[in-house]
Amino acid sequence: MKNLLAKEFRLAMHPTALLFLALSAMLIIPNYPYYVTFFYTGLAVFFTCLGGRENRDIYYSAMLPVRKVDIVRARFAFVVILEAAQLLLAVPFALLRQSFPMPGNQVGMDANLAFFGLSLLMLGLFNLSFFRVYYRDVNKVGKAFAVSSTVTWIYIVVAEACDHALPFFRDELDTPDPAHLGAKLAVLGAGLLAFLALTGLAYRRAAADFEALDL
Amino acid sequence: MSVLNVEGLCKRYPAFRLADVSFSLGEGRITGFIGRNGAGKTTTLKSLLNLVHPDSGKIEFFGERFAERELDIKRRIGFVSGGVNYYPQKKLKLITAVTSRFYSGWDEGAYRRYLETFALDEEKTPAALSEGMKVKYALALALSHGAELLMLDEPTSGLDPVSREDLLDVFLGLSGEGKTILFSTHITSDLDKCADDIIYIKGGRILAEESLKGYLASYKVAAFEPGPVPERAASLLIGCKSTKGGYSGLVKSSDAEKALAAGAKVSDADLDSVMVHMEKE
Repeated sequence: MKNLLAKEFRLAMHPTALLFLALSAMLIIPNYPYYVTFFYTGLAVFFTCLGGRENRDIYYSAMLPVRKVDIVRARFAFVVILEAAQLLLAVPFALLRQSFPMPGNQVGMDANLAFFGLSLLMLGLFNLSFFRVYYRDVNKVGKAFAVSSTVTWIYIVVAEACDHALPFFRDELDTPDPAHLGAKLAVLGAGLLAFLALTGLAYRRAAADFEALDL
Repeated sequence: MSVLNVEGLCKRYPAFRLADVSFSLGEGRITGFIGRNGAGKTTTLKSLLNLVHPDSGKIEFFGERFAERELDIKRRIGFVSGGVNYYPQKKLKLITAVTSRFYSGWDEGAYRRYLETFALDEEKTPAALSEGMKVKYALALALSHGAELLMLDEPTSGLDPVSREDLLDVFLGLSGEGKTILFSTHITSDLDKCADDIIYIKGGRILAEESLKGYLASYKVAAFEPGPVPERAASLLIGCKSTKGGYSGLVKSSDAEKALAAGAKVSDADLDSVMVHMEKE
């Protein structure tokens, strides 16, 4: 696993993945739909899988003394590390934005604790929708990204609409920290659990799909 | 003990099927896996490593079932499809650094020696290597982790005659060191130069599996002048085809006298002529 993870970072990772990590700084834009920041993480995953197809990464990996399920596990570990890094790097920028002497985000959710919980749910949905398609046919990376992008954008639209339309979102979740801390922590915890559950489900299904795939 | 033993390998696709493929490889021998394009060579090789899932069949490497000992077996073999055709823009140095981590028995000294022997520059990328050098780099990787069996899928395709000759010399040298080599090709002249045994696959079925010398000795080429095929020769001919000076067919060596009596010019068969006529059947 350690060796495959090294392969993921040294050979397979698309260089833009590191560039997109820097986009965590988008959380200091005064007014912006902040969920878009984490859409870029998905874009990095897409580029890495697309580069893998062009570089015959699957073929290279399958020749190594590893099992097919190990290849899937390493890719998931790589993606989760990337997503965790994106979220963690975003934290200081979220704090910085909250310290600005100006009103909160006028476009959508503030970059607060609840926002990170809702973003975790979004990333979990991305992982499930992307890898369910990708590991059925590793050559159809574009299809996987089209499906997962659609899911992500629908999620963003719905989440931001809720922020404007639902009193619980508007009056409790979309407030500067530490107001309504209990509700926000609950959303953060639920988001984390949802991320783990969705990613775990995606992994199990992907491993089974890839095992059955003729290369 | 066979290095590789395959029994009853079957794989069905909508438009093609491998049917009851069985063969074995002797230690230290070079075996050519021949057949025209689409005959099932690559599907067979991929099935051996479970890259495609056979519908049935038994596959044993070094006396052990692949499904049960996949990781150990993969450490003892090297599979090369063409040359190194992955990560074409990464330096060989990096590919080696990443690859070598997977093999506890990686021999860095041997790797350095192979780099020197094959005149490989680690600062280059696969994209900058000629086709022959790509195969050599793949061999260097496989040999440095101690592969005892080398399986190569069309390693000589796209090589110029000098590079092919050069690579065949490498195979002969490796065979001399006790390595077992199985390589698929549709360039039969490669096998005339270096193979001990052949496995001939046609339409997903194994047509022959024996020593190259024995196989070639069992056939002759009978050439006839233009005109109707003599009645007494027609039943002897295998895969009759027209040629510049008339037509020719393959005959079993035991029928060579009869073909001569029917007016044919009879000559020894090489692998090329055997395959060309067999494919006409």
